[in-house]
Amino acid sequence: MEGKILNPEATNLLQRIKGFTRSIVEDLAEGRSPEISINRFRNYCMNPEADCFCSSDKPKGQEILTLKRGSQTYRIDILLRVLLIVQQLVQENRHASKRDIYYMHPSAFKAQSVVDRAIGDICILFQCSRFNLNVVSVGNGLVMGWLKFREAGRKFDCLNSLNTAFPVPVLVEEVEDIVSLAEYILVVEKETVFQRLANDMFCMMNRCIVITGRGYPDVSTRRFLRLLMEKLHLPVHCLVDCDPYGFEILATYRFGSMQMAYDIESLRAPDIKWLGVFPSDSEIYDVPQQCLLPLTEEDKKRTEAMLLRCYLKREMPQWRLELETMLKRGVKFEIEALSVHSLSYLSEVYIPSKIRREVSFQ
Amino acid sequence: MEINAPVPKLLLQLISSAFQRCRLAEDLCRLSVLLDLSTDNDPPITPISIADTGIGCNLEEFQDLMCPRQFNGANIWDGLLSVKTTCFSDDEVYYYRVNLDENISNRRVKRQASQAKNGAKFSGTEVSLSVFGSMDVLVAPIIGFFQKVFFLFRILNVTMDLVVKQGTSPGTQTQYVFVVNTEKNPCFTASNLERLKFGLEDYVLRHGNCLDMICDYCFSDREHLKVGSGTACSEENRKRTGGTIDVVIVISDLLETTRHCSRSCDGKTEVLYFDNFSPCPIPQFALSALKKIDWKSYGLVLASVNDQDGHVFLEWENFPSYVQIQITLHWYHNQYPTRQKTQPGINLVKKGIKNALDDLKAKHEGFLLSSHARKICSHVPDLARSIAGLIFSSTDMDFQGDCLSVLGFQAQEVERVAVEDYIQRKIVTVIGMNERKPQKDEESAPFLFFEGESETSYFEDEEIEGEYYSTSLE
Repeated sequence: MEGKILNPEATNLLQRIKGFTRSIVEDLAEGRSPEISINRFRNYCMNPEADCFCSSDKPKGQEILTLKRGSQTYRIDILLRVLLIVQQLVQENRHASKRDIYYMHPSAFKAQSVVDRAIGDICILFQCSRFNLNVVSVGNGLVMGWLKFREAGRKFDCLNSLNTAFPVPVLVEEVEDIVSLAEYILVVEKETVFQRLANDMFCMMNRCIVITGRGYPDVSTRRFLRLLMEKLHLPVHCLVDCDPYGFEILATYRFGSMQMAYDIESLRAPDIKWLGVFPSDSEIYDVPQQCLLPLTEEDKKRTEAMLLRCYLKREMPQWRLELETMLKRGVKFEIEALSVHSLSYLSEVYIPSKIRREVSFQ
Repeated sequence: MEINAPVPKLLLQLISSAFQRCRLAEDLCRLSVLLDLSTDNDPPITPISIADTGIGCNLEEFQDLMCPRQFNGANIWDGLLSVKTTCFSDDEVYYYRVNLDENISNRRVKRQASQAKNGAKFSGTEVSLSVFGSMDVLVAPIIGFFQKVFFLFRILNVTMDLVVKQGTSPGTQTQYVFVVNTEKNPCFTASNLERLKFGLEDYVLRHGNCLDMICDYCFSDREHLKVGSGTACSEENRKRTGGTIDVVIVISDLLETTRHCSRSCDGKTEVLYFDNFSPCPIPQFALSALKKIDWKSYGLVLASVNDQDGHVFLEWENFPSYVQIQITLHWYHNQYPTRQKTQPGINLVKKGIKNALDDLKAKHEGFLLSSHARKICSHVPDLARSIAGLIFSSTDMDFQGDCLSVLGFQAQEVERVAVEDYIQRKIVTVIGMNERKPQKDEESAPFLFFEGESETSYFEDEEIEGEYYSTSLE
């Protein structure tokens, strides 16, 4: 019997963890070497010829962890340590951040990425999402605009203060009572741009919700965006720098990340539109030459690698063309470069014009 | 006099052949060596006789014997052997003179007048020779030979003795007798390898035969010894006779009281080599084989090989002082007599040693693990703690009880530490087992369907970077 009343999902997860533990115990008792089979997922490949199945959510391979190799044994060690913590969290219906878990055995874990990988392995092993493990990442994202909701009983009334940044909720699964009067959602790459829009009272003049993941979007931000899309059915526009990093962030929102490819369905925003900034915008919006920076060798390499990704060819050929144009021109520029005309050029001219003309692809 | 000086060498070869004849007889046999130091000749002469009641001798074994008449400028013997021999089925005892100086083989052995057995049924051989000088220095090598053969091979049907005659009266005779006690030894039917195993254990327990009994300071009983044995055979063909190499390795965990024992080991490994049941200096090919063994895959790092006139000691790096390793190699022909003596190749010796090491590893889980496996073992305490944690922290008592019973514990009375220890041992067993299995599938196993590493994105660390930002918020 479990100690606390748990939801059926938690009970089911605990049951599977117990089954897993028992199978290891049984293997050892009978002198068999335990083998932990972990499916591998990918959301893209880079083989232009292959008839790939990357668009499918099914596993694309399997990794078998055994006690035959040092690196795999370490991985099993970490997996079991984290699993033990997860079992306790779920049994007690408590939550912990990935960082909390890291600090429980910092010398064994060595780096946060090691814990992250173990959490990923556990999610794959038990076919669940990270939130099912009661593991949360501290919210990094910000939101403002025509929206209000509740998270675990706590009120987020953005409507009351349209240009104030609210943190993106951590327990996205417990978000309810979403009310919005927005016409679209604007996702911006950077916090600086988000603050620019807040200063310019962008939401006062535009019926929208603005979200930023402050760089690479974390799981909470992506799950929250996905939730808003599902609940509100609003168009979503994304504004990123015209450089490989900006494009990578756009692709992460649209297709999900390779690292969490196993949970892609709950993390990607398939209908997101690329609002800008495009390479061609430098001419259309008269960005002076001195604001254009040459692509570094590293930038070029990254861009070339991204051009090979199968999902761009298959689903977003227009995006790929823009990327090729950037590579051909050999220059990049930031969104802020548009402020060369005036401080509020972005909020007063660029974004409204882009939204109005609906020049974004797809 | 050194053991490889001509006379002792010849003598030990003759004794070794006599021992072989006894060993092969299916009856109780006696091997008796007489050193007569009592004669008054001037210059002094020592008559020596080697008599055995084994199967009769085959003259072929004298064809390749060599011993010069002179050594270091002095005459040492007359070069003649006198041989009397008869087989069980023979009607006569045959007499021969063997001139070791003669290189033409059909002139080497000359038959003398034989003696009728008058219907008596027996077999045996006596080889006699005379060496110049008083040869009391021969006593030690002969006793050493008997001790090694006697203690290591435990051949039950052979009694060995050495009589040293210093004067004419019986009181001036010294007799050394070696009789195997049948109660504490392997039975008649035990294989050569079994006997060698038993003998080497005894040899180690008595500090290389230096003591009459087990050294109480260093060992409490045989259980402290870890013994592994291996065999490799070469096939017989037209060009060479078949043979077998037996290898026994004994590793002893000495007791803490060892520091009281002046004879306890200094971390060196003695290697004994036997050729056809006779102790002999380790040959070059066996030395090469020892050097070529991949000791690292058994967790050992060979620091040096000290070869002092065939007495070989291996020294190890970072070797614990309370552990002692003893290695014995025994090469013997599958048939007797063999005029054409062959030697095992380096690979055959290596195979034998490897088989013995693998046997040790299989019998003692977690022992002789390679540095790779020991690295894996460094995770074992943590793995065991986590597995025990998953069991004990579960709020499902049925599950707890179930797991504990699978591990062979009673749920009511079990302590977590005991379970953890048990799981640790089980994991170590499995790691040792994995190491012994062929590893060829290992490389392909982790990725069954595609190469995982080739797809690394430049942005693989995005989540980590996200985390990096978030940590500043925490």
